[in-house]
This record gives sequence, structure tokens and C-alpha cells, in this order.
Amino acid sequence: MYIKGIGMTKFEASDKPSYVLAYEAAIEALKDADIPFSKIDAVVTASLEWFFSVEKQRHFPAMMSSMFRTHKPIISVPAGCAGGGHALWVANQLGYDNVLVLGVEKLMTCKSESITDEFTMALESKWEQLEGLTAPGSAALLAGHYFNRFPIANTDDLALIAYKNHLNGALNPKARFFGKKVSLDDIKNSKIACSPLRVMDCSISVDGAAACVITKDKTEVKIAGSGLCTDRIAPFESKDLTTWEATSVSSAEAYKQAGISPSDIDFAELHDAFTIVELISYEDLGFVPKGSGVKMIRDGTVLLDGKLPINPSGGLKAKGHPPSATGLSQIYSLTQQIRREAGDLQVKNSKIGLAHNIGGVGGTVTCHILKKV
Amino acid sequence: MTKNIRWICEKCNKKWIHPVDTCIYCSGKMKKQIGTTLKVIGMTKVFTPSPPHPIIPYNVIMLEDEHGNRMPKKVMKDYSLGDSYLDVADSSDNAVSVVKIKYDFYEAVKEAIELIGDVKVDAATKILIKPNLSIPGYAYIGICTNPKVLDALIEYIIEKGAKAENITIAEQSFFVPLEKAASKSGVINVIKKFGVKYADISLTEFETVNAREFSFEVSKIVKQFDLIFNVPVIKTDMILGIDGAFENLTRFLSKKTFTELAKDPTKAVNALALLPSILSKFITIGDASIGMQGNGPAENGEPGFFNLIFCSRNPVCHDKIVQEVFCLRKLPYVELAGKLGAGAYEMSKIKVIGSELESLRRDIKQPIGSRLIKKD
Repeated sequence: MYIKGIGMTKFEASDKPSYVLAYEAAIEALKDADIPFSKIDAVVTASLEWFFSVEKQRHFPAMMSSMFRTHKPIISVPAGCAGGGHALWVANQLGYDNVLVLGVEKLMTCKSESITDEFTMALESKWEQLEGLTAPGSAALLAGHYFNRFPIANTDDLALIAYKNHLNGALNPKARFFGKKVSLDDIKNSKIACSPLRVMDCSISVDGAAACVITKDKTEVKIAGSGLCTDRIAPFESKDLTTWEATSVSSAEAYKQAGISPSDIDFAELHDAFTIVELISYEDLGFVPKGSGVKMIRDGTVLLDGKLPINPSGGLKAKGHPPSATGLSQIYSLTQQIRREAGDLQVKNSKIGLAHNIGGVGGTVTCHILKKV
Repeated sequence: MTKNIRWICEKCNKKWIHPVDTCIYCSGKMKKQIGTTLKVIGMTKVFTPSPPHPIIPYNVIMLEDEHGNRMPKKVMKDYSLGDSYLDVADSSDNAVSVVKIKYDFYEAVKEAIELIGDVKVDAATKILIKPNLSIPGYAYIGICTNPKVLDALIEYIIEKGAKAENITIAEQSFFVPLEKAASKSGVINVIKKFGVKYADISLTEFETVNAREFSFEVSKIVKQFDLIFNVPVIKTDMILGIDGAFENLTRFLSKKTFTELAKDPTKAVNALALLPSILSKFITIGDASIGMQGNGPAENGEPGFFNLIFCSRNPVCHDKIVQEVFCLRKLPYVELAGKLGAGAYEMSKIKVIGSELESLRRDIKQPIGSRLIKKD
């Protein structure tokens, strides 16, 4: 399958309801694809339909049926923060000629404690939630284990990752932090969220939607690899507490399908929900051996003008993280880069890009490789 | 003793953190693996509050047991890598154990009892279990004592040496035939499963007991047993603040006494405070697996999925800790009972074991409109 069109709202605190955000992203993707909705065979959507949201509007597929005035199949495949990548993986399997893939989230009407609670529901309920473990708490434990095992790494490396993503996000017109300067000191001096992670090690929650039209017709952007892997809901069950195995497995599948190796990747959008997750993903994706991820940030490999730019869009950290839309915003970014339409964010080599989307604490991971045809 | 539980396939050794009966790979049967020697292998101090964990900062430590299995644990105390984690049992009357249920009710109830110094039973011990079946309700609504808690308790005491024929589940309802509540809650199935006895307290003999200005008609059943387990489901209550250890005892009284006391809430509180002194000594197992919050069973209260078991030899300490954990306003009968010598109500004298009190505190929906709950 090929990417025919992309669309994305600005990631921000929005006063628009989720179905409007989704509709806007869909319109943009259809315009970009230059096809009317009547040519779409099916829609695959992802939305977590937040309990605490003031929308009081569930049954998202039917809501979008109302918006699109259609009886076509609309398939909902939420998968925590991996909803967007998951939806694309499913759409890619369906065999239709043209599929609209749509991810949306509306969560900024919730207060921060409720957002934490909602995110926490993606963790295991009795062993983790009951014991006060949250998504940042889980990532903080991961960081602690990583620093103990690889003493070369420290919180300064995490700050550099956040800083790099903020530098990129400040250039992205659709990012939450567009035009906002964040210094390394701002990051290093931010409050502790869950030790050793600081607030600025955490991605920022936003509202937003992203969409793409995939097609059997040849375009200049091919979905060369599409991997999906599920894993245990509780990461403390993993053999290795410094690895999220689903990343390795899903990326291996995507590399295999694309007929490439990690060294062939020109740039990537990684799931930096927390800076430590970006760091371990350098390794889990096979870019560097285990324990040497810090070299990539220290030597500038992952900067916008580096050898392997990571998160040129600003990532979840600076672009923002509307869970079910995140994965498709990565596809938006990859497609722009491959088409050489990324403006100030354009990376030098952009023929092969990788999108890495995580749900829960490594429980669902998708990896997509897009390739210039 | 905090336990780390795994369910392991006897044939292929695959492990689960969730209870399953059969291995999906080889159809093998499961056995439990329980780790009790726990070492700290990781930690984080959490500064981000959430509704179930409003008090910050708190720590989450990662523990690893003698089998290499891990579990997180919320604590307020600071630990270092390599430290041992151990809960020490306390058999004093002022101890209250609070155990989080990790899917396995048997292990949770057992742990809660062990943490207050365990119980001694043998084949001759006559045991009375007093659940809350006052109003018919499915177990998942939090109106009646969860049959899984009763199942776990009976299994444990039989394992300790008690005989099923010496165990009686007794309760009465002032509002409906007791069978209705026993059936709807599923407690009747537990009675049938173990072959234990079942008694409707309203059909027992009552005797008059005088205490202070009150005259109570008390069921003689309380004198016929060597060991009594008081097993209330923890609910909020419009009148009393909570239905806990004390409220559950009211159904040892006759309907006539209850009706008389219920006419005057102030009188009811004073009478409630006297109940521990006119009844036999008992152990309270507070079932907060699925409790109730809001205005309680009579006024559209809603289930609260608390996943906790409270256990204490003293009802004053028990209800005081329930009040503290759920951040409820002062329960007047608790302090009064304490002042009358029924047990310690001062926090400085009560020992919470199994989890630290501060790590358990959370807001639940308070009962409103009570005429008795005093504002602090």
C-alpha cells in the first residue's frame, strides 16, 4: 500500500470537539490525496473516548458516520497511545483500494489528575494501578533500572533528548511548542515528576487529530514495512527491565518486510512519551547496541542535521501527545519529509523513514517504514 | 507478609500474574507460586497525584522475590537498592492490617489474618461468621459482603483445622427475608460449597442485656461460639458515616431493639458505641473488595472498587482506620466507644500493618446529609 494523502490538526488545547478535529484532519488528508470521500472504501479510526471528557459522546464510528454521511465500514481500533499506528497496521491488512485512517483525542477538558488517571488505566489494574504506579512512574522505574545497568547514562542525557525535540518542535507549525523556546536549563531545572524523571522529560498532553489516506495506487510514498507486536501489560514481567521487547519484534518485522536493516533508516519518529523511552528505543530499534544509546544524543547523530535525525517533528515531547492521533502524526511527518515538504524541519536524507508508536508501557508497539518510490 | 503471587502451569511452567485455571498452550493445571522474601531492585518517588493516590510524594519500589518474580509496592518510607521489604505481624488489639487484593481473595484474607497474629482453631472450635446481608444485592454492587471473602475465610480456617460442621454463617435482615439476600449476593453458594451451617438470627433466642441507659435484646447465638468473625462490607452510610465493624453488629440485636434505636440517631450512636462491650470478643474482617461510596445503600450509593481487606481484633481500631483510609469525617460512635473503653481510637495508639496508612489514603464520595457526622 501507498500513502496518498495526509492531514493533521494543530496539536494544542482545542475548544473543538473530537469529531470536529477528526473531520478537519480527514478533509485535509482527502484534499492532499485529491480524492473525494466517495472513493474511500473503509475508514479505520482510533480514539480512546475519554471517560472524564466533557463531550459525553461515545460510539466514535457512528459519530463519524454522521459526519461523513456514509454507511461504509468504519472500524475502531483503539490501542492506548498506539491507536494511530495500530489503525494504520489494520488498514494495511484490509485489502481495500482506498482506506482513510484516522486518529483523534480530546483530553484537555480534563484536569491533570484525571488525565493521569486515564493514562494510568493503560497499566495493569491490581499489581500496578493499586500500587500507585502511573505512566511516568513506570518510565521512571525504567530509567532507574537503565542507569543502574548502564552507569554511563544519566539524567543529563535525557535532558539533551528533550532539548533536541524542543528545538525541532519550535519549528513545527502544528506543534504545541511551535515558536516556543525551551532552554536546556529550563529542562534540567524543571520539577521532578517521578524521580529521576523531571516534568520536562515527559511528553505534553494535547488535543488533536491526524489522518492519512492509503491506497493500492502507486504514489511516491510506499508503506514498505508494517510491524505490530503485543506484549505483557505489566513491564515488571519482562526478562530485561531495560528493554521493551515489542519494539524489537515489531521493528524486526518491518525491516524484514522492507528488505532493509536499521542502518538503512534515514530518519525516524519515535514514541518519546518520556525521554528514557526514546533512549531505549534507539537500542531496541537496532540503531545501536544495548547500552550505547547515549552516544547518539551526545555526538549529535539524532539532531535535525545529524546522521540519523530522530523526531524532527518535535516528537511527543514538543509536538504534543494526543494518544490515538500520535501514531498518525508520525506518518504525517514521515510523508512530509519523504516528499521534501517539511520546510524548516526538512532533514537531509529522507528516502526511508521509520515511525514507532507505543501503547501502554510497551504493551502494543507498531513500527512502520515509509520509503520514497 | 506481603506476598508476590504467580500462577504457574504444572506442565510447561509458563507463569501468569493473573489467576487462570488452565494453560492455554498445553491445557496443564495451575499451581500457585508465592514469594515472600522480597528485595528492593528499583524505586521512584512520585510527585504527580491522581485520584486514587492524592497524597504526594510517595514511593513506588520494585520488589523481587526468591523466585525472581517482581512486583511494585507503594510505600511512603524511603528504601535503598538491596534493602529487604518485610511486614511484621502484630497480634495486639490495636493492630489493623490492610491488605490489597491481587486477584486472589484467599491469599489476601489469609495475609490480613496472619498480619494480626493469626488465629488458633482446631476440629472442636465452634466458629460464627457474621456477614452483612441486610439488604439483597449482587456482590459487585457492594451492598452485601462479597461471597469471595467468605469463601476465602472459610477455606483458610478449614485449612487451619476447623471442621465445616462447626462453622455457622449467621445474619438477619430487618427489611426482607434473609434468604433473598443470601441468594442474590451468592453467599448461599458458599454455604452449599463448604457445607457450613446457616442461621437466621431473627429466629434465635434473645436475652435482655442492660448497659448504661440502654436495654438491648441480644441474640443468644453470640454465646454459643468460641470464635466470631465479624465480616462487614465497607459502605458509606447516611446516618452513621460508614457501615463497618459496629454497624454489622446491630443485627445481633432484635428487630424490636433495632427499630427503637433507629428512631433517634443520637441515641443510636450512643447505643452503637456500647455493642462491643455487650457482645463476645470477635475479629473483624472488613470487606472493602467492592465497597460502597456516596450516600450508601439507602440513598443511591455507588460501588467503590477499593480492593482492600481490613482486619483487626478491635472494632474501634478497625472503623477508625477505615475512616482514615477513605478520608471520611469523624465517626461519632468510634470516639465514644473508645472513651467507654472498647478500644483505642487515638491514631497514635493504632498500628497499621500491611501498608502504611498514608499510602492508602484516598478520597471517596462522602455520604452527605447525615445529621450525625460532626464537622471537624
